Amino acid sequence: MTIHASAGHGTREHLPAALLFAGALAIPLATDNLFLQDAVIFMLLWAGLAGAWNIAGGFAGQLSLGHAAFFGLGAYTSTLLKLHYGLSPWVGMLCGGALVVVASGFIAFAATRLRGPYFALVTIAFATVMQIVAARWYEFTRGNEGLSIPFDPTLANFMFVDKLPWTVIALSYVVAIYALASWIGRSRFGFQLAGMREDDNAAQALGIDTRWLKVVAIALSAFLTALGGTFYAQYVGFVDPGYVFSLDLSVKFALMCIIGGMGTALGPVLGAVLITALEMVLRAKWGGERSGLYLIVYGVLLIVVVRVMPEGLVAGVPQAWKRWRARHAA
Amino acid sequence: MEALPQLIASAIILGGIYALVSIGLTLVFGVMRIVNFAHGEFLMLSMYLAIGLFATAGIDPYVGLLVAVPASLVFGSLIYYVVIRPVVARSHAVQIFTTLGLSIVLQNAALFLWTGNFRQLRLPYGGNVITIAGAAVTVAQVIAFATAAAFTAALFAWLRFTYLGKAMRATAQDRNAATLMGIDTGRVLLVAFLVGTLCVAVAGMLMAPLFATYPTVGLQFVLIAFVVVVLGGLGSVVGALLGAMIVAFIDVVGGFYVGTAWKEVLYFVVFMAVLLARPAGLFGQRGAEHLGT
Repeated sequence: MTIHASAGHGTREHLPAALLFAGALAIPLATDNLFLQDAVIFMLLWAGLAGAWNIAGGFAGQLSLGHAAFFGLGAYTSTLLKLHYGLSPWVGMLCGGALVVVASGFIAFAATRLRGPYFALVTIAFATVMQIVAARWYEFTRGNEGLSIPFDPTLANFMFVDKLPWTVIALSYVVAIYALASWIGRSRFGFQLAGMREDDNAAQALGIDTRWLKVVAIALSAFLTALGGTFYAQYVGFVDPGYVFSLDLSVKFALMCIIGGMGTALGPVLGAVLITALEMVLRAKWGGERSGLYLIVYGVLLIVVVRVMPEGLVAGVPQAWKRWRARHAA
Repeated sequence: MEALPQLIASAIILGGIYALVSIGLTLVFGVMRIVNFAHGEFLMLSMYLAIGLFATAGIDPYVGLLVAVPASLVFGSLIYYVVIRPVVARSHAVQIFTTLGLSIVLQNAALFLWTGNFRQLRLPYGGNVITIAGAAVTVAQVIAFATAAAFTAALFAWLRFTYLGKAMRATAQDRNAATLMGIDTGRVLLVAFLVGTLCVAVAGMLMAPLFATYPTVGLQFVLIAFVVVVLGGLGSVVGALLGAMIVAFIDVVGGFYVGTAWKEVLYFVVFMAVLLARPAGLFGQRGAEHLGT
């Protein structure tokens, strides 16, 4: 993997993202089509979550397959605080964020001791334990039945009738994560992360405290993931352990980021937009009675993309384009 | 304490089955250094094969082994050449997401072909109960355990005494050194993958009469197999055997005392504790966890 931390400066670099964000904001203003408005909100949510995963998985190179644990904890914390104690989900969201920062300490500890597949396995086990606890602690979480949040749209309740406020909140979330990733890309912190990702021992030899870097990167990533969890719970109005803590979800965050390009600001956004659009097209075409078919295509795509373009589309497409040009110029 | 013989018998039988699934995984993991997330899906396919053979042709799953073994070799070779071999020398991220992708494809192919309904293979004689030393076990359980034990013993002897078995163990210890000693490691990787596939193919035929079959059944067992493999140590067949027994005892005894609802938490916690405290596993060689370096 090449080091992306030194990618180009200037406004041109942010042009594709700016166009995507403007497009996302334009849709709820331009059309009344609820399907399209809903699609945009989910694209933004997944873009934010893929971007959150990117901080741990992409920049720091810690391939977590347990980020659903943070997502689920965020979703459950705000929902339980609201249902049991009447606390505003905005406050609940921050409580969830604080809780996962503590929980992420465990994953960070695992990251300092284990690498590659072993680390991935611990993160899976961690999320699975969370899932089992949420499913079995019936008195508090209502187990597999899940929790419904009564629809009562006010700003304090973090619920809206219109799609526009939802879009604005989701967009702010993505833009903040995009800005953070751009900053990481050119900061001292980002260069240290890149050094650690390429060679942990060499980075340590240069005096970089890689343990502390892992703790910070994973805590940041977990915190942002938990915020997305609360947003999901509020927007959908329902949480159940079978979905919010699932391995499928953890894979989804990672997958969108990998397809777009790990360790880049634009990658997760691009990956999320493409994968969500693909999912919707495939599901519309082959959903329903032929369930499963769209996920087959999705799986094949995953296998092909990681093999052909392991660096993701952001780095892979310009490279392929250059090669094509070079061949046809001669 | 009346329950004790029953608990021990159940745990041993379950352990034998877990061992077979886990040995396949530990070989692939140990020799190829690839975590095969699709391992559970291979098991699921074999269970569906057992159900299909029984439902359409009335073939007993124990006779069906004669179909499952060659089928698994063909299927395993196909998957190896098309999906696995191109990523053997690639990064962990590429390997992990390739096998995850394969697992998504196979799970959903099953969902597409056979729907998400739970299916149960009921052998006419499978539910007959035998009492051994105060413990009641079913015929299907006894056959499953005996076959799994015989298969494991044969595999163990093969690894121990044949050239290919020794070459495989050498490759698991140090792939570069093995190549330098003149071992065709490319061929060893294929054989390891096929043996792994064979193990789950046999396990699936034995498990179909015991457990319900559904498209995601593999995930449940592969997670258990990961626990076993990590407990036992990477690439260690004996370790997998002992690890399987430990997990089966936690499963059965924990299920009895703590309640079935919480027993899974128990072995995942053990899993994380062992990985963090002793990444090479209880019986593995230290240093083996430095994958691919």
